[in-house]
Amino acid sequence: MAETPKDSAPKDRREFLWKLGTGAGVVAIAAQTVASLRSLVPNVSYDAPTTVKVGLPDEFPDGLKFLPDERLFVFREGKTFHAISAVCTHLGCTVRAEALSQPEDTTIEGQRLRLTHRFSCPCHGSRYRGDGAAVSGPAPKALAWYHLSVSPDDGQLTVDLAREVGQDFRLTLA
Amino acid sequence: MATIKGLLKRSPDTPEAPGVHPQALWSFRPRSDREAGDAIVSNLLLHWFPSKVYKPSLDWSYSFWLGTASAALFLLLVVSGLPLLMLYVPSVERAYQSVKDIEYVVTFGWWIRAVHRISAHLMVVAVALHLVRVFLTGAYKNGVGQGQCREWNWVIGVVMLLLTLFLSFTGYLLPWDQLAFWAVTVGTNIASSIPWIGPTVRELLIGGRTIEQATLIRFYVLHCIMLPGALGVLFAYHMWRVRKDGGLAKADHEAVLANQQPVPPVASKTYTLLGVARGTAPTVKVTSVEAPDLTVSAVPDLTRRAAIVVLATFALVSILASAIPSPLEEPANALVTPNPAKAPWYFLWLQEIVTDTTIRIGSFTINGAFLGGVILPGLLITLLTVWPWLDRSSALSTGRWFPKDRRTQNAMFLALVLLVLVFTVIGMFLRGPYWNFYWPWEAWPEIPARI
Repeated sequence: MAETPKDSAPKDRREFLWKLGTGAGVVAIAAQTVASLRSLVPNVSYDAPTTVKVGLPDEFPDGLKFLPDERLFVFREGKTFHAISAVCTHLGCTVRAEALSQPEDTTIEGQRLRLTHRFSCPCHGSRYRGDGAAVSGPAPKALAWYHLSVSPDDGQLTVDLAREVGQDFRLTLA
Repeated sequence: MATIKGLLKRSPDTPEAPGVHPQALWSFRPRSDREAGDAIVSNLLLHWFPSKVYKPSLDWSYSFWLGTASAALFLLLVVSGLPLLMLYVPSVERAYQSVKDIEYVVTFGWWIRAVHRISAHLMVVAVALHLVRVFLTGAYKNGVGQGQCREWNWVIGVVMLLLTLFLSFTGYLLPWDQLAFWAVTVGTNIASSIPWIGPTVRELLIGGRTIEQATLIRFYVLHCIMLPGALGVLFAYHMWRVRKDGGLAKADHEAVLANQQPVPPVASKTYTLLGVARGTAPTVKVTSVEAPDLTVSAVPDLTRRAAIVVLATFALVSILASAIPSPLEEPANALVTPNPAKAPWYFLWLQEIVTDTTIRIGSFTINGAFLGGVILPGLLITLLTVWPWLDRSSALSTGRWFPKDRRTQNAMFLALVLLVLVFTVIGMFLRGPYWNFYWPWEAWPEIPARI
């Protein structure tokens, strides 16, 4: 027997309400999940700023100075400065510098560079040359070079840890 | 009062309406099968056991009771974690000091911390050995029961092993000492080596770009609430599945041997005693279960052995905790990486792998962090997970040590286990400053603590 509209109406309503209820439940759970997970993604970063003043140029000795807070090596040769990261490119441990017994002179990217140190990582044994190039061990790439400048207000050396530069970068003071 | 006395005094012989238990309390020394079954049915803590168990599956030398030991250790970890929860302060300024207080100032604090730490180490061992045992005996295979899906219980087990490892990992961040800080640095950088999504995953894990307060509180909540909760739920499910699958795999093996002709499955005594649904419930062939000389009552045979295992585990942990002091390194110092910086022993094989797997093809480099830290362990876990579906050995090899037709896969599995152990030993004993190779008799060079 064919269903009359009268017969099917309550069934449709029941089905509709069932779907509405289930749908509302699913949407509610999904929304709460999204809200909970999204709340764990920070909107404000309280991390240390990436542009840091590290002291007057005169405070830096010729050769190398390690800045533990910035995990950075700052090299000075007369009036020329450059900065190499101390963060191992493998898994982020802080590499250690060892002075070479005999400094070497090389040319990298058309710029003369005096290599006074080499670096090794205590975590997995990566080794780097004085210019940051990965020599052995698991490190996949060279240590980063960062941009150095002189702060116009107080003349301090300023490093920008968010700005990687090429290995021909030098800051030369007048 | 009188009613309680009356209940307790009621004789087990008193005729009762069906379903009414003759005694208010159960007995751990039942005098009859009825009393033995009653002990299971009327005890909340025991009702997840069958009332009859297959006797050979209780053998010490079959399962070594490693699952029970793991559960006992988990219980011990929860219990010893409660006082620690009240004494520990999850803040970067105070975490180290509060652990130091627990160690040196709080009465019995050192012992509670040692119990927690030793149990954690032993749990990693027990869960791993349990997995090895289940693999070698082919206990993830289905035997003769209906509705068995032991392969899924194996998958649950693999997840529980990962949770156990992750619990350890989150736990050793909490003292906020040097080991903690650098382990988390390395661990989260492994996550960040995944192409595309890696850095986001790391940021979500540590709640920012540097390891700070947000990291500590995330790991704290994971360690104290989310992971133990997940493990508890999975544990309950794991046990329920063991029940549903007809007990340990050994029972299936014996049943197949006892009766190799196909017999239509019949609801077993084990399940009908409890009134668990017939038909769709897993059943064991009647020949094996009905043989009275092969089954024993769970109370007291199973409960007695379980009690022995749990008590022995507690005793072992107590003794070890009194004898082995828990180390606490220097406070976390983001400025100085210890040299060598070693992970805890159960992650040393991974540390060794991430060291050895950076691949260079021309100018193209794959970071060992990704290959050794993500791809290889991921492959290993995937292989473990899907293995029950790849294993084509016969049902006769279910629940047996070293059956002939599983010889190759058992050998391969043991070779992998051995490889992990070899890497662990290398990492533990043969690596010195800068992760250089040193024989045990070679002295490490003097390295200044700071440059």
